Amino acid sequence: MIHFTLYSLDGVKFDDQVYEVIIPTLDGIIGVLPGHMPLISVATDGVILVRRTATERDDQRDVFAISGGTVQVENDQLRVLVDEADSADSLNEKEVQDAYERAKNLKANAKDHVSLQNAQAMMDRHAVRLQVASMKRRKK
Amino acid sequence: MASTQILQRRRKSVQSTRQITKAMELVAASKMRRATEVAQQGRSYRKAAHELLSRLSTVTDIVDHPLYTKREVKTRLYVAITSDRGLAGAYNSNIIKLLTKAAQQDQKDNITTKAIIIGNRGVQFIKRIDAIDLLAAFPSFGDHPTANDIRPILTSISELYENKEVDDVQLLYTVHQSNIAQVATSLSLLPARVDVSDPDAVESLNDVTFEPSITAVLDNVTERLLEVQIWQAMLESIASEHSMRMLSMKNATDNANDLIDDLTLAFNTARQANITQEIAEVTGGAEAMK
Repeated sequence: MIHFTLYSLDGVKFDDQVYEVIIPTLDGIIGVLPGHMPLISVATDGVILVRRTATERDDQRDVFAISGGTVQVENDQLRVLVDEADSADSLNEKEVQDAYERAKNLKANAKDHVSLQNAQAMMDRHAVRLQVASMKRRKK
Repeated sequence: MASTQILQRRRKSVQSTRQITKAMELVAASKMRRATEVAQQGRSYRKAAHELLSRLSTVTDIVDHPLYTKREVKTRLYVAITSDRGLAGAYNSNIIKLLTKAAQQDQKDNITTKAIIIGNRGVQFIKRIDAIDLLAAFPSFGDHPTANDIRPILTSISELYENKEVDDVQLLYTVHQSNIAQVATSLSLLPARVDVSDPDAVESLNDVTFEPSITAVLDNVTERLLEVQIWQAMLESIASEHSMRMLSMKNATDNANDLIDDLTLAFNTARQANITQEIAEVTGGAEAMK
């Protein structure tokens, strides 16, 4: 088992012993299992999947939408620092869908490069959250 | 002696003012509690980021990183956190005082002063001062700021620093020491520093793999640490704003109570005087009829 702690600006979102964690990083998606080599990496916007026990099914996994951060693996300790982490339970699919549409509109109406970039970043973030929110629905 | 009608009208108006200040006091109290809670939750994040950074400092020369390089200070940037709304005691004026004092000192030392202001109160004030170059102004982020709100500030200050447009960045905010003590302070953000109190206690990172590279990791961790510093300052300021508003509204309620007592007394005296006078007139009239 590895100990997984997920820190976000507004508190610790996950702190428990788990079997496997899948994290999106700059160099691609990595899976962290017990006995992983010591690693420090940079996380990107995406979805973290947490399997608490080896027998847990895919659709039972804990899901978090994260936006960029730092990943640190050492001695079966996994620490992930992110700006924001939303668990599937805290997201409302309808609200996220609306937010995604708003971001899309912003992008369509963007007048300069900066606002276009901001809108794109916002859209990416909401796309991830949307993915997480819809996973919750499939679980039911 | 003022007429009883006027006194009664004044008393009613003070009573409704008291009702408003009382409500504002209660609202501020509950908002303050939430803000202090959230500010505390950020501590573990800060600790984890700081620990990682001090360990990184053992394997790489952090001083070479652009955000850690110390330069001679020619331009200083202040990031000041104020609020959009008044009626919070000396909350905004404390920060503004701190900023103007620092700007005066900079002028003496021949340092150009630039500022990024959060909160309309501060922006309105700084716009009138020519000595301070206002680079950016943000409206206050409300009671629940998100990481997304502070990102533009973070990226603009690190860009300014890396492009050598500013040589020093100070964050001015209000520390929430307790519900009755809030102090406006200045925190040095850039050049970033790592304080390794006990270098031997720091575990080395020699056999750790860095992905994609150690510089990328360092960039990321530094950004995290700056971010959490701004974030905590923001929340401490929000908590301070609300406790100062709570206190000043409590004072206002107390004053209104005193005023109501005085007015009630004056009203009763006036009423009694009227009655006495009427009786005196009646008996005086009866006396004259005899």
